[in-house]
Order: sequence, then structure tokens, then C-alpha cells
Amino acid sequence: MSLRTAVAHRNLLYLLSMKELRTRYRKSVLGWSWSLLNPLSQMVIFTVVFLYIFLRKPPVGDPSGLEIFPLYFLAGLLPFQFFSISVSASIGSVQEGSSLIKKVAFPHEHLVLAIIVAQFVTLMIEAVVLAVAFLIFGHMVLPWLVPWVALMVLVGLFTTGVALMLSAANVFFHDINYLWGIVAQVLFYTSPIIFVTEEIPFAWLRAITNYGPTGSFVRASQEILYDGHWPSIERWIQVGMYSTVTFVAGAWIFNRLSPRFAEEL
Amino acid sequence: MDETEHAARMADPTREIALRVDSVSKTFKVHQERANSLKQYIATGGRNRFEEFHALRDVSLDVSVGEAVGIIGHNGSGKSTLLKCMAKILTPNEGEIIINKRMAALLELGAGFHPELSGRDNVFLNAAILGMARREIELRFDEIVAFSGLEQFIDAPVKTYSSGMYVRLAFAVAINVDPELLLIDEILAVGDVTFQQKCMEKFVQFRDDGRTLVLVTHDTSSVRNFCDRAIWLDHGVIKAEGKPADVIDEYTETMLEAEEADDGSARRGRGPIRVTKVEILVAGTRLDRVRTGDDVTFRLHFETPESVPNPVFVITLASLAGVAVTAPTSRDADEVPMTVDGTGYVDIEMRGLPLIPGPYVVHTEVTGWGRKRVYDHIQNARSFDVLAGNSSEQGGVVTLRPTWTWTGDGVSDDRYS
Repeated sequence: MSLRTAVAHRNLLYLLSMKELRTRYRKSVLGWSWSLLNPLSQMVIFTVVFLYIFLRKPPVGDPSGLEIFPLYFLAGLLPFQFFSISVSASIGSVQEGSSLIKKVAFPHEHLVLAIIVAQFVTLMIEAVVLAVAFLIFGHMVLPWLVPWVALMVLVGLFTTGVALMLSAANVFFHDINYLWGIVAQVLFYTSPIIFVTEEIPFAWLRAITNYGPTGSFVRASQEILYDGHWPSIERWIQVGMYSTVTFVAGAWIFNRLSPRFAEEL
Repeated sequence: MDETEHAARMADPTREIALRVDSVSKTFKVHQERANSLKQYIATGGRNRFEEFHALRDVSLDVSVGEAVGIIGHNGSGKSTLLKCMAKILTPNEGEIIINKRMAALLELGAGFHPELSGRDNVFLNAAILGMARREIELRFDEIVAFSGLEQFIDAPVKTYSSGMYVRLAFAVAINVDPELLLIDEILAVGDVTFQQKCMEKFVQFRDDGRTLVLVTHDTSSVRNFCDRAIWLDHGVIKAEGKPADVIDEYTETMLEAEEADDGSARRGRGPIRVTKVEILVAGTRLDRVRTGDDVTFRLHFETPESVPNPVFVITLASLAGVAVTAPTSRDADEVPMTVDGTGYVDIEMRGLPLIPGPYVVHTEVTGWGRKRVYDHIQNARSFDVLAGNSSEQGGVVTLRPTWTWTGDGVSDDRYS
């Protein structure tokens, strides 16, 4: 996307994001609480499965000393869920904007970006709730929120790249949506959210969960919030590389395809 | 600004170019079997079968600052494609479109309105989609709402609006985007007559402010009345270009010939009597174009192989929009012959034709006395154009030749013109 048009239309991005946030929970009784209830219900389910069915011990945070599975789970789940929900909401966004695309000239990427921005706002609200939970369990998490937000910006770039790629591809092949359902599952179970990487007996599987695109930012998030230490410089480079490469590739593909949207839709 | 000043500006050869279309071609792929799932895509080896459709072929034109240009053509002539290319919605395959002015395109009113959001939120969103900055919208917000006349409803969700309210709000936003170059597609056909009149006034004001307009439309009369130049697009190429009156005359003539050729008129009835031809005469001369106020004779030629008792002839004059202006019958006029046989014609003379300028069509019908038995009915038996004549009225469909009389001490006797 041309940076200049994106800046010129920043007002549009703001308003589209507001529209996303305002219309999301229309006609639902609990409204915004849903964005918290979803991760909390998953937390309860996976805590029961992890502790009482699989009889695993929660990982010990080093140096934080935390030994609480629900906090470990949420520290990994929130960034992952931001990523997967943003992408699945984005995939159809260009398709849904077809009446607009056919009638008005505007930067099409804003349809996707608005969803990411809205989801990012949701993530930040969830993070506040998570921070309170950490504080209740006696872990002083507040200073760690600074590097964590920086990490989330990188995750946001990565998410944007994937979302741009898939939303553009979905204009031409409607299978993308279903395909994403499977891919998101695979990524969830190959990221160390409901298990601990160090306990995996196979080196290759450990490597995937540790160095995969989603695994790497899930690990980084846990290291910052749960363990309470800075991720290694290698980890930052790893996450940074995934993010920039994916973002640049996504933006390039989207830009290549977007002039054809009006006639393909 | 008055007309002569406007004309003088148009004649200036050094005037600035607002929009340049430089040898633009646009082709569409017409898919016979469109692969939009991966399975189909792989099954066909990644190759879709399609035919190419050339919507535009090497079109070039310049639009000067302050000019109003009308693009006409039949359905599928490529005129809307050209407008979409100008609006940067479609990308040409070849050639280039250069825009030197702040442009806004009105292709559809209210594109992007979200039903759940309030009128206020939609004004902001819609204006942003059309490219306005936040400060600008805030400055113009009151003006937009006032123009729409929806002050009371502005905080209600748009889904509660009637379609008329919806269109009014959308137009109010669009016209207040305040572009220097405005592209319009058939927008005048939206809303009721009062609303269309309001749009038209706004466009006239727009043109008189020295701004640039490109109008794509079926409605040749608005091009005739409103534009400095007409461009006739046919099968993706410019067929004629120049003064609206000349181009439109040529265009309507060709359209008529084409109609005669493929006889696109709808006909029903069991016979035996048939209307074979409709002629339009003024002072004994056959014409396709008449003027307001002319004494016009419509001549219906008929033919029947057997004798028909008391046939009722009906002639309907209708505007292109489908409004029947008048439908006299020979029964109303007590002019029904006892019998008709063989060939002949009937003349229907209308003195001082009160139609305002624009395109019209003629439907004919021959029925029995009770009007129940239809011998021959022809929808769009022919069309004709009315040009400006002894009246300069443009509103409505007919002129009733009104007389204006002023009374009052403060009314001057001199008239402004």
C-alpha cells in the first residue's frame, strides 16, 4: 500500500475501526463482556484438562516463581487469539466490502486494517484484565507491560501481513476461509499455549513449537509476563523477522491484487 | 456567472486540463466456467476458460477546467466503464488517466452506509470514504445536515430511515465533499421529482462556480440542457464528440435506425388490422424531431386483409421514464368509422404541442369498440425528440403556457434577463 494514501485516509481508518468496535456487540445482552468471556471460558476448560485430566504440573516461572497454569495459559493465549481472530475476521472483509469497492475509490487495505486495529484495542482491554490477575497473585507485572506492548506491535505487523494476504486471495478463491479454520487449529496446537515446550520428548517437535511463527511470539509473551524476564536477543530477532517479512509480503500481494478487486467481486 | 462568460471561458484555447484520458483500453474476462474454488482451479490446471470483452478501445479525451461533459451511449457502450476508470475504481489495461483536480465520483448514493450506525456516524464515515479529512467534515457537518433536512433524525440509526431520507442524506454528504471535478453516473434518476430538481440546481450552481463535471447518462435531455460538450461512446470507442445538440441528434437517429432494424418494439394483438407505420409531420414534412409549440401530425398507417367493424385507434405519447403524457382515442373524438378495409392512414393532429424538450415514445393500439378485443398493440412503435421551441420551460413533462402577472408597489416594471 502506498504510505501516502494510507496517511491521507487515516481518518477513514479511524472511523472504520470505530465502526468495527461499535457494531461488533450490537444486539447482544452481555455486549463487550463477550470479548473477555471467551478467553476465560477457554482458560477454565484447558486448566481442568491440564491439571485434572492429564495430571500435569504447572510450569514454574523463572525468575517470577509463579506456578499457576491459568496465568501461563492466558499469557500465551491472548496474543495467539488476537492473531487468529483478526485473520479470520479479515478474510471475508474485502468480499463484504464489495459494494463499496465497486462504487468508490478508496484504499482497500483499510477494510482489513480497521479489523486489526479494532482487535488490537480488544487485546489491550484483555491485557488490563490479565495484568490485574497477575497482581492478585502477587506478581508485579506492570513494568513488563512495556516490552510486552512492543512485542504485540510486532505481532500486529505479522497479523496484518497474513490478513492482507488471505483477504486478497479470498476474492479469487473462496476456500481460504475454510482452509484458515484448519491452519489456525494446527498453529494453536503447535504453539506452546496448553503445554510446555521443554517437556516435549522429540527435538524436532520442540523446535517447531519454539521457533514456529506463532510459537515464537507465544513464547516471547510468556517469557515477559509469566517468567518475568526479557526474551533473548535471538528471540526478538526471530519475532522481528517473521513480522517484517510477513508484513512486507502481505502488503505486496495485496497491492498487486487490489486493482483487480472491483472487477472480480 | 452568466452564460456568455461561461461560453467565453469554454472557447479559450489555453484553458487548463482537469482530466485527461490518454489512449485507454479496458478488457474484461468473461468467464465461461469461473473457477472460484481451489479444487476447480487445480482441476483446470490453473487456466480458466474465458473470452475477452473489450469494454473500451483506445479512448482519448480531455476535459477542461470548468467544462460540463456528458457521455452518452446505449447499454454496454462502455460509458460506465470509462467513468469507473476515471474514478480510479477500475484500472485500465492500457493507457493512462491523469487527474489534475480534486475529484469525487458519485456512482451510487450512500455506498458504505452502515444500517446500525446513526445518521451522524454515517455522515462522518461516508465523507471519510469519499476522502474528506476529519476537520473538514466537522466544519461542514451542520451544512450537510441542513441540506438533507434530517436534523430531527440525525442520531437515529440509518436502518430506521425511509429510502427517501437515505438518499437525501447520502446526496447531502456527496455534494458537500466539495470537489473541483465531479463524476456522476445516472445519479439524476434517483429520488422523487422535487429531489431531482434540488440535485439539478446544485449541479447548475456547481458548473457556474467554474468547476468541472463529467456526467454519464441515458437521459439525453439533461446532456442537451446542461453540458457544454457531448461524447457518444459506442462499443468502447468514441463515435462522435462535439456540441450536445449535434451529437445527440446523430445518436438518436442511429438508435432509431437500429430499432427499426431489429424491431425491438413489443407487439401483441390478434389482428386482422395492423398499424404498419407511424409518421410524424410538421407542415407536411416528415420529421424525427419537433419543437415545443409546433402543430404536429401523427400519421398512423394501417392495413387489414378483411373488413373490420368500428375500430378504435389509440395513440399514447410517453416520456422515456414511462410517464404517459396523453392517450387520445378515436372513440373519444367520435371518429370511429363504421368499417375499415384494405390500407389507409389516420392523421391525429396536435396543435401547439405542449411537450417540454426531451425524448419521447409513441405506443399505438387498435381495438374493438368495447376496447376489450385488442387487434394490434405496439409498445414503442416509434420514438421522437422534442427540441426547445416557443417555450423555455424545462420542468415537468408539459408546458401549460402559463402567464405571470406581478402585483405590488415594490415590484419594478423592468425584467431581469
